[in-house]
Amino acid sequence: MGDALATQREGTMLKGFGGSSLRVNLRTGQVQRRPLDPAFARAWLGGRGYVCKVLYDEVPRDADPLGPLNRLVVSPGVMSGNFGPTGSKCCFGAVSPLTGAHGDSTVGGHFGPELKFAGYDLIVFEEIAQGPVYLFVDDDRVELRDASKYWGKGTIEAEEMLKHDLGEDFEIAAIGPAGESMVTFACIGHDFGRQAGRCGVGAVMGSKRLKAIAVRGTRSVPIHDLPGLKELTMGVIKRTSTHPNMAPWQKFGTAMFVGWSNEHGVYPTHNFQTTYFEPYAGIDGQPLVDKLLVSNKACSGCWMNCGKYARVTLPEKPTIHVEGPEYETGSLCGGNCGFDKIEEVAYVNWVCDQTGIDTMSGGGFVAFGMECYEKGFITREQLEGHELRWGSVDDFEHFVDMIVHRRGIGDWFARGIVYAAGQIGHDSIRFTAQVKGQGMSGYDGRGAPAMLLSYMTADIGAHHNRSWTITMDEDLGKAVIKGKAKVVVYLQHIRPFFDVVSCCRLFWGEVDVTVEEHIEAIRLMTGWSDFTLEEAMRLSDRLWNLNRAHFLERNGGPGRKHDYPPARFYEEAVPSGPGKGARLTMEDLDVMLDEYYAARGWSRDGNPSREILEDLGLPETATRLETLDLLGPLMAPLPEVRGERYKPKAF
Amino acid sequence: MKIVLKAGGMLADYLKPDPVTHAREVEAGEGQTLRQILESIGVPPGHVAMAFVDSNIVHLLYVPKEGEVVTLRPPVQGG
Amino acid sequence: MKIQVTQSACTGCRLCRQVCAIEKNGETNPRRSRLKIVAHFPAPGTYQPVVCDQCGDCAEACPSEAIVKDDRGVLYVDGELCDECGLCVDACKPGVMMRWDGVAAKCDFCWKCTEVCNTGALVRID
Repeated sequence: MGDALATQREGTMLKGFGGSSLRVNLRTGQVQRRPLDPAFARAWLGGRGYVCKVLYDEVPRDADPLGPLNRLVVSPGVMSGNFGPTGSKCCFGAVSPLTGAHGDSTVGGHFGPELKFAGYDLIVFEEIAQGPVYLFVDDDRVELRDASKYWGKGTIEAEEMLKHDLGEDFEIAAIGPAGESMVTFACIGHDFGRQAGRCGVGAVMGSKRLKAIAVRGTRSVPIHDLPGLKELTMGVIKRTSTHPNMAPWQKFGTAMFVGWSNEHGVYPTHNFQTTYFEPYAGIDGQPLVDKLLVSNKACSGCWMNCGKYARVTLPEKPTIHVEGPEYETGSLCGGNCGFDKIEEVAYVNWVCDQTGIDTMSGGGFVAFGMECYEKGFITREQLEGHELRWGSVDDFEHFVDMIVHRRGIGDWFARGIVYAAGQIGHDSIRFTAQVKGQGMSGYDGRGAPAMLLSYMTADIGAHHNRSWTITMDEDLGKAVIKGKAKVVVYLQHIRPFFDVVSCCRLFWGEVDVTVEEHIEAIRLMTGWSDFTLEEAMRLSDRLWNLNRAHFLERNGGPGRKHDYPPARFYEEAVPSGPGKGARLTMEDLDVMLDEYYAARGWSRDGNPSREILEDLGLPETATRLETLDLLGPLMAPLPEVRGERYKPKAF
Repeated sequence: MKIVLKAGGMLADYLKPDPVTHAREVEAGEGQTLRQILESIGVPPGHVAMAFVDSNIVHLLYVPKEGEVVTLRPPVQGG
Repeated sequence: MKIQVTQSACTGCRLCRQVCAIEKNGETNPRRSRLKIVAHFPAPGTYQPVVCDQCGDCAEACPSEAIVKDDRGVLYVDGELCDECGLCVDACKPGVMMRWDGVAAKCDFCWKCTEVCNTGALVRID
């Protein structure tokens, strides 16, 4: 094997990067390789940054997200594969069929590092293939290959087959039948249980008839100061290994938060009707580890191994292996669908993984269906003679099958929850748990107003990775409204940074690895001695505003009208549990939005101002918004520094 | 009786443990719950997402025993 | 003296392989390491780290006596003496004898892998 290995890429100017980008035209089969432009690399860093820029520049505003003019963009960022304080991630992006604007989703595992080792920082897929294909990448050898034999196979099955056919050391990203049939919340699976789950990136991949990407990279990424980087990272590993938060993370992973979330009144239950699921102890981290655990599973270069690989045998079901359930699955496919046994949650987790739907939107959308069934808005006849009861594995599995194969009302749900609610009628849109079409993450914002504001304002809809505030809501007071917008703006700067540079934010959040240490790691990788946290935060701000502009250009203004949650979240009080009585009003939401837009340098309508866009070096975007009447007057003086300045004390 | 509390992250601001071992020995009354112990030393129980004894999850109503090491952890920040 | 392997503790993170590649070859690709992790997925869902156990088969197979013991008694490759024949690679049953650009390379117990492994899968035994 050694002889076949090429040495490090020669002639690459950029340190820390793979050095090349690929542009794949699926219609013509043409693959172009280009060197990565150093100015582009520094300006947009990678991952979510490249995705944002490519989508904004290249996808026509009237292009169908599932049509030929949408792009599928794949990018590992600067830290991916580079032995920093983690660097396992890879970003998948496209104009989202769920939200109708910029969409991205980041997956861990080994795919991002492998792309870097093959020499690639960016792959852009254009157009639609004539028949099923997969992209084969083996260092410099890049080919589109026939994928007929894998088409129709489940995500896990397809990955297993490709590894069998190509070799165990290929890393695979694949879609399942849901992606093939363009279910708008289809995901991309990798490493037998990790997913780029959100925004329907799997649907876009399916629309292009791209079943999978298989990559092997045998080279090394050139590092500016490898001894320095080794010293930094080994020091961080040593220090954090004894951190008190490390052992619980290693033992339970995110699943341990099911109990906590219930006790704090934010756990989504029965389609967000309440925030307390009484039998939660049956689906918490403890039963997962005690009853189902096979092994602990880590992403590339991570010493926290939060992945729990489980084996489950339910009566009359096949024995299955699944990574998880993680917290989001354990909530949205757990109490939210009424499952009270960890075996059941793990099994439906596997159903979603294998068919290739996001467990978050998937769990949330099925739960909405369950509430509609309970209320009599969906009939047994519409369910092909089946039911859709809380806590029924059979019902869940059958309904997902209807969605994936777009049978009957399954097709409504495949198009998204907003479309389904429109078809179901009965004003059911009021109890959909979504913002901008994206299903909510596993926290109910009524007991945590800043969390609700995070959902309302996130560029990709109701997802938690941009800003997660439950702790801050606890700290500042759960009923407090004023002052929280600034916390959200701060978090929306810092957290997306980790997706841009492709490392895991959990080390920052959980075991006290500082952002400064991440910045230092990037300096050592790239040799950018003048790279600062401020530069990174400004990029976060630029991406946020560009994505906002992208959203408005595609969906019309004013921005504010898109930023409200469904009525349940400002009309109904939480009826039970520790969060009982928590409720927000429309006035509360307006107070938060006013504060938020001011902190962003936007107008009261929620449109970006010329001042902010020019400050961020986006004058053309300002002009474009102006011609579309989407540019707003600044509602308050432009905040000099957005984000860092509002850094709450506890961070 | 004495027990040992360990914590990092934002909880360390309240617990003020040894910066290297993350541990602090505290005095606790017989039969006191974890919640009562935390309140008595100024650690807001609302900031404790969960606690662990011998790597198993315990709750705030848990009554620690003499010499036990209880690891506290703040709510997930990583989300 | 050995690297003690506890198979069930391996999480497949590959830190051991990457730090080995960095330490020994100055490269970041985990393939350039002197140990392996064999993954068994989706079923049964386990990882198997494979390390050098200093069995000596490589030294026995080497016609140019390039695999010799250091003052701790640990076998290592003297690159100057290696004639790049590859017989040591064929002789290595666990498959952790490597060749980089022709020259044989093997684990010489620098312990870096055990320093980054915090799950107990790889433990230094002196």
